[in-house]
Amino acid sequence: MSDQSSDKQMQTPNAVRAYQREWIERTRQRVKQGEPFAICNGDDFEEILNVMDIPVIVINYWHALITTKKMDRYYQNILTERDYPATIFSMGLATTMDNKPEMAPWGGLPKPSIIIGGARQDTEMRILELWAREFGSVFWPIEYAIWHGIEKVPPPNWFERIRDHWDELVDPHKLDYRVQEQEKLIRYLEVSTGRKCSLPKLRQAIELVNEQMDYWRMARDLIAKTSPSPVSLRDQLSMYQVMWHRGTPHGRDFLKAYYEEVKDRVEKGITACPDEKIRLMWVNALGTPPLWGKWAEETYGAVCVTHNYMGIAVDSYARTILNDDPMRTLAAKYMMLFWTTPEWIAAQAKHSNCRAVVTVAGRQTKAAYEKAGIPMVSIPSERDDEATRAAISKFIESNLL
Amino acid sequence: MSAFEELQKHYLERDLAAQQWKKSGGKVAGYLCNNVPEEFLLAAGLFPLRLSGDPQGDTEKIGNYSEQGNVFSREGFVASILHMILQGKYDYLDYLIIPHARDSVHRLYTTLSYRQETEPDLKLPELYYLDNLHTKFYSAGIYNCERWLELKKQLEKWTGQKITDEKLSQAIAVTNENKSLLTKVADLRVADRPRISGFDALQIIGSSMFMHKKEHNKLLREYLSGEGDFPERDGIRLFVEGSPLDNLQLYEIIESCGATVVAEDNCWGNRSFDGPIDETGDPVEAVIDRYNNKAPCARMYPIGERIEYCLQNARAAKVQGAIFHVNRFDEMQAWEVPDEMKVLKENGIPSLYLKDQPYRIDDTEALRARISEFVKGISR
Ligand code: SF4
Repeated sequence: MSDQSSDKQMQTPNAVRAYQREWIERTRQRVKQGEPFAICNGDDFEEILNVMDIPVIVINYWHALITTKKMDRYYQNILTERDYPATIFSMGLATTMDNKPEMAPWGGLPKPSIIIGGARQDTEMRILELWAREFGSVFWPIEYAIWHGIEKVPPPNWFERIRDHWDELVDPHKLDYRVQEQEKLIRYLEVSTGRKCSLPKLRQAIELVNEQMDYWRMARDLIAKTSPSPVSLRDQLSMYQVMWHRGTPHGRDFLKAYYEEVKDRVEKGITACPDEKIRLMWVNALGTPPLWGKWAEETYGAVCVTHNYMGIAVDSYARTILNDDPMRTLAAKYMMLFWTTPEWIAAQAKHSNCRAVVTVAGRQTKAAYEKAGIPMVSIPSERDDEATRAAISKFIESNLL
Repeated sequence: MSAFEELQKHYLERDLAAQQWKKSGGKVAGYLCNNVPEEFLLAAGLFPLRLSGDPQGDTEKIGNYSEQGNVFSREGFVASILHMILQGKYDYLDYLIIPHARDSVHRLYTTLSYRQETEPDLKLPELYYLDNLHTKFYSAGIYNCERWLELKKQLEKWTGQKITDEKLSQAIAVTNENKSLLTKVADLRVADRPRISGFDALQIIGSSMFMHKKEHNKLLREYLSGEGDFPERDGIRLFVEGSPLDNLQLYEIIESCGATVVAEDNCWGNRSFDGPIDETGDPVEAVIDRYNNKAPCARMYPIGERIEYCLQNARAAKVQGAIFHVNRFDEMQAWEVPDEMKVLKENGIPSLYLKDQPYRIDDTEALRARISEFVKGISR
């Protein structure tokens, strides 16, 4: 941390954070002025809504805002009091049930014109049905969503196939059905909002997504082969917010600027963690940096240089348009985005020259990682507590020093 | 052995009939849930066996089955089925049909097919995934229909025999008779003075899924012919709503508290035999129509239909109270409970909500005390 050059703040992640604040404000104003407004889950339909210029809140993003405001406990209690399961996914519903806009981020969500609900999990469709009921809004169920588009477990190297050969991975009957479902929903939105969708616009959106992910890959690859790492994990992860703008020119431009900035840092030898001696990969569900990161760096020079979310961005979002059919291409992506396997995580860790993966997981997963060729440090929780530090210390001291 | 004892025996020894069938040279097709058209299996000359878990197995010790990434089966009964399959307890199955029902059932399929690919020595039945949608829209009906027809074709391939209309009509006659006999059982439970306990009824209904339906009909007819001698029961009339009950632990406890479970909304109880199949038209279409329109389980959209089903059945059974029993991890079921309790309350039916329940009930006494208090509260 002593190196002058490491103090240089990255500009693009800051610009993204600022843009995001501005976007939230703008969206809120638009909806206030009576524009149609949709709620849907991430990776379910948002590219199409973007193409139709219908402002949309992606549920997981809304949940992240609640968590950032540290309101999750509060909303989970609202659910428990009403005998509902207090899950992360249902916090949005809780904000509406609570009906105290002053407590919620944004001063509460405005009434949506539509809530779109997929069958990604047993409860997703139900929770969103209830949410729409709470608002008095239209609920639109969609049958096939991520995880349900495939019948067999994908081959271990799915991440090498998915961009160009997605048609091998997704079940064709389900895909036909999903395409029909998208067309029906688009028709409904066209009728109810007067906004339009078009094939060229969809095609362009997919191409922009692909470009965005290409820049992401190039940046990731530079970080992977540069030690000490030129970009902190925090900055890498904050770029993930641009996911909510994928398929737009500014979404692509942010990643282009990010790549150029990373390249510039590599050329100038600017590093994020100059004392880096041991490279690790951090795997968690929320896409947040490890709370014990600073301690590990100071104690062992152990730095988490990559995260499973970086792999998601690079490996799973791009799709080549096959048969000149962007609608079907998009549908396939909504049905099989990625499949987390130890093989995939191991490939990412090795690519970034990491010596181990750190995550909260059980014995079975540990064995599976080892089989895939990467050691796994299993920590008891995501907290930065004694038990977590002990597990990491034990592993590093007996295996890596 | 009385007819009831025979039925009971099949409920307890769930592989008995299937094993006998195998010995005489037949093939056994296992399935999960109740959206796999058994009529097709029967018409194909197969023995249909619904898979169930075993709370007395070491399931709880094993905890969650966690396989590849997103593949896991958390609800106790599904984890138990998975465990039993991997332990070879279902090694007599020739085929296993897994429908797209709740997530953990779906994942049972992905887990098994992954295992099959990565561990060639593992002996598993031939797997078949039966896709199925979670809404009842017109387009969903068409989609499901295509999937059921594919299953029919697959069965013909497996057995080398065509499922003719004639065979299918015969199978429909058998399952319809079963449904009507089980409806008689349901009627005797809801009589002003109930004549069959919930504990017995669950075994009678359950055994229909472990036996050949023809045999089951025979025993059931014999059992019901003695109806005049069934003793009358008194006590508080209860309705049970909640997670799948593939075992007797809960009813045993409830009925030891001076109550009778007169009806339930459960895929191992009354809901498993709703809606007879139309015998007048095209038999294939009739089977498909019934499976498209049968009473929904908690995985289905919309919630309104589920609430209506719960309310109608509780009211028709003239219950004095309802017990909501939801297993740990069964969120699908948990999400409908508040609405259902609300409408029951509006209709003067009080509820007891047992949430996050373990698949194997270990602390029987604590549960008995809660239920007992609830029952006493009603009788006051
Ligand atoms: S409730 Fe539905 S999904 Fe669950 S086991 Fe029963 S039939 Fe299957």
